Amino acid sequence: MTNLIVVAFSLTCIFPIIWIMYSSFKTQHEFELNIVSLPVSLYFENYVSAFSVGKLHKYLWNSAYVSAVSVLLTVLIGFVTGYFLSRYRFRGRNVLYTMFLFGMIIPVYGLLVPLFIEFRNLNMLDNRLSLVLPEVTFALPLVIFLIESFVKGIPTEMEEAAYVDGANLVTTMARVVFPMCGPVLSTCIILSFLNIWNEFPFALILINSQELKTIPVGLTHFAGTFTVNYPQLMAGINVAIMPVILVYLIFYKRIIQGMVAGAVKS
Amino acid sequence: MEKKLQSPKWTTIYGFLLPGILLYLFIVLVPLAVAVYFSFFKWSGGLNKDFIGLHNYVQLLQDRKFWFSFRNNLIITLLSIVGQLGIAFALAVVLQSRWIRFREFHRTVLFLPVVLPAVVVGFIWNLIYSQHYGILNGLLDSLHLEGWIRPWLDNPKIVIYSVTVPIIWQWIGLYLIIFLAALQNIPEEIYEAAEIDGATGLRKVFSITLPLMYNTLKVAVMLCISGNMKIFDSIYVMTGGGPGISSTVMAQYAYTTSFGQFSFGYGSAISIGMIIISLGLILLSRRLMGGRAFE
Repeated sequence: MTNLIVVAFSLTCIFPIIWIMYSSFKTQHEFELNIVSLPVSLYFENYVSAFSVGKLHKYLWNSAYVSAVSVLLTVLIGFVTGYFLSRYRFRGRNVLYTMFLFGMIIPVYGLLVPLFIEFRNLNMLDNRLSLVLPEVTFALPLVIFLIESFVKGIPTEMEEAAYVDGANLVTTMARVVFPMCGPVLSTCIILSFLNIWNEFPFALILINSQELKTIPVGLTHFAGTFTVNYPQLMAGINVAIMPVILVYLIFYKRIIQGMVAGAVKS
Repeated sequence: MEKKLQSPKWTTIYGFLLPGILLYLFIVLVPLAVAVYFSFFKWSGGLNKDFIGLHNYVQLLQDRKFWFSFRNNLIITLLSIVGQLGIAFALAVVLQSRWIRFREFHRTVLFLPVVLPAVVVGFIWNLIYSQHYGILNGLLDSLHLEGWIRPWLDNPKIVIYSVTVPIIWQWIGLYLIIFLAALQNIPEEIYEAAEIDGATGLRKVFSITLPLMYNTLKVAVMLCISGNMKIFDSIYVMTGGGPGISSTVMAQYAYTTSFGQFSFGYGSAISIGMIIISLGLILLSRRLMGGRAFE
């Protein structure tokens, strides 16, 4: 009995997604006749027009570009910052640590308008590389926190040995500490990818041209064009979430662990 | 932990920390300062702006729409604390029990919505709620509950509840996993001892599980509050804050005022007000819960 209830709950989580997946292969007419039936045959036209008319490939490319640059920067800056915050006690360390973690609870949407004004005055609107800056900033706290707590747990002997051998700070960080952080770094990459790929409001206000929009914003535009054609919209949704679902299915253990650690910390 | 490593000079340390600090300054602190500055002006984004002192803030304090949207944030937060945490807790207890099968599958599936873009969650629920082609009304129809069928997102009286359900739905998984981790830390012997004393099912939950999970529950409530202060994406997609302003939350109101009506001066004041209110609420809840605000 309890098994049944839990199964029912799990179904409510996954059924809408499955429904959208198979319905995207129906024609509009077929969908309107029966909204839950399986498609009689696979109708790929929705996907064809999602790309040819809806230009989803452009949005996908923009998201990939913004995500790749942002994740790289986030992990790099996060690693260095987390490492120093964890290894050394220095003047101002606690203030900085608090400031970075503060980024996890600050209501970031209060920054929408302020950031827009700043970027406009500096002529930085409508540029994918300027979008990278807030993306990195908001993904950074979680990464700093994960790295900081991981580095705390590794003994300092390896680094000491490296210094005895004459290595300098940068070499030690890059050749000794960085490789040891492998597992946590991959968690950081995955989580910041998800955060950045999914990010909506800043991409919405900082990018104006159709050509440069990321997939969540592009999808709202796409939906506006196909309001009545549900299977078409579903195809668009599928294209937009496919990367996320794939990453989740491959790395779900890491994702769950990392997100829970970050959430509890904040 | 011992600090045997010799610390580099502080100039070196700050050199390495500089990129992060600069980014934070440029993206968080400077915009805030800029917003405080413009909040003293009547400004529609163009070249002309009039200094009006605190007028925007006086207006904000009297702005019914702003407080209405804050109230919406509060409603969503309260419903989430009850619904999200309640369901997640019940599921965690059930999933932890001995006779549940496919545990791994349930965990994975229930967590999936957490990683979806909130925009997509909005679209998914748009489709679920759709008047004629949505699964919700379809389901009600097939259950012969035609009386329950309604335009879920177009009725100003119920829309705030309709937009809350997707938010609850999306985040149950996160709290479920947090609770499961806490449950695993409760030693099995306590339950065994209670069973010997004759405690069963719900009694065990209320007398053992709940008290022992008190700290975790506190964390979850605080998380719920801070999370719900930044709701925007899914509601933007589902209703855009409408009909009227019935499902408008603070972020949506700041957005509409600034980008819909081009009142950037007032929009700045709303943003500052929103940050102060949210932070105040978050810090207050932490204080009340007995935890320290920060490390």
